Amino acid sequence: MESTDFLVPGDIQTACRHLDRLGAQAHLLAGGTDLMVAVNLRRLFPERFICLGDCGLATVSVSNGKLAIGAAVTISSIIKSDLVMQNAPLLVDACRTMASPGIRNAATIGGNVCNASPAADGAVALLALGAEVNIVSSSGEHSVAIEDFFTGPGQTILGPNEIVTGFNIPLRQAGVKWGWSKLGQRKAEAISIASAAICLSLENGKCRGVRIALGAVAPTPLLAVKAAEMLEGEAPEAGLVAKVAEKASDGTSPIDDIRASAWYRRQIVRETVSRILGDIS
Amino acid sequence: MAMLELKVNGIAHQVAVEATTTLMEVLRDKLMITSPKMGCNTGDCGACSVLLNGELIRSCITPAMAANHKEVTTLEGIAPAGELDPIQKAFSDNHGTQCGFCTPGMIMAAKALLNENPKPSKLEIKEAMSGNLCRCTGYKKILESVEAASAEISGRS
Repeated sequence: MESTDFLVPGDIQTACRHLDRLGAQAHLLAGGTDLMVAVNLRRLFPERFICLGDCGLATVSVSNGKLAIGAAVTISSIIKSDLVMQNAPLLVDACRTMASPGIRNAATIGGNVCNASPAADGAVALLALGAEVNIVSSSGEHSVAIEDFFTGPGQTILGPNEIVTGFNIPLRQAGVKWGWSKLGQRKAEAISIASAAICLSLENGKCRGVRIALGAVAPTPLLAVKAAEMLEGEAPEAGLVAKVAEKASDGTSPIDDIRASAWYRRQIVRETVSRILGDIS
Repeated sequence: MAMLELKVNGIAHQVAVEATTTLMEVLRDKLMITSPKMGCNTGDCGACSVLLNGELIRSCITPAMAANHKEVTTLEGIAPAGELDPIQKAFSDNHGTQCGFCTPGMIMAAKALLNENPKPSKLEIKEAMSGNLCRCTGYKKILESVEAASAEISGRS
């Protein structure tokens, strides 16, 4: 019997048609590890789900010089993927610090991004990696840079009839350095108090293509553009690294919450950016 | 409504569910399989852990329909009736149960680990058990129980 309340489309076009027809009556469901928490806490009352598990979005591949990760790839699959390890090890580092095995087996990278938590570890890593977000609707496909995807806590540019199908990440070039740092209240199963992901290339001792991404210190995962610009074309010597870390910290707009104060988060950003840059350069 | 068809511990079931009904609700309230415990109901504590097609998951935040046409294994299904799985025996022998509430989830997490990696390091055991909370706050005997089970299982094979 085909259920009308729990739709499991077999391809993405069918998923789009369901979404066009049902609109706000239906919620898109991936691993459910964020969505079902909201349901159990009585914050969300969905009547219908469109489950994206069987739409062919759970693959990892390399094509056209990009690493393509489907939105329905689980966090566990990313950790185990040789292709991701070779081409975007930063994402593996971030995924290893997310939640715990039982959640990582269900949670997806697409869900992590679309839930749009400012603390989303996967989103912060993808931001540093310069990922593109692939979006589809019944009227076509398009891609946006991930820094243009988030608009606020839990908010994205995604239209009511649009679905994220996956992410394209530039392949790791020789000489690329990266670092990931997450501070939580414990090592496992903690939401980030603050996180940082940095990617850069060292060419003849000078930094190129610097991307510094920060989590849980702004309304969205944050790209520290001005701090990265200071390092661009420069040698990462200690004095400059300290200034870059200060700039990254100044550019945040954290809040006080149950996990930490805004003041503490700023200190953590300065310290972790400084440590990562010290370690990788 | 939706009709869920699943196998639990080898037995096929059909259950009418809502879209938001969780797998834990089906197991506990419809099928009376009560080893998955409701601790937090938000995916934090791991007391509701079961295997879905062999993979460790949280049944409290898994929509029941996500288990449609799949196989669920709970603590009740890891050993024949009247016998103990080596992990259960190790928890019993090493006093890993303590108050017992977290034990089914702990054993399922250990089961998922040892199925894949019969001889894990101490660090791998800690990592595998990292999503399961014990509010007796005594993890030492739990970790020792998993180590003992690993020795028993890998010694036999």
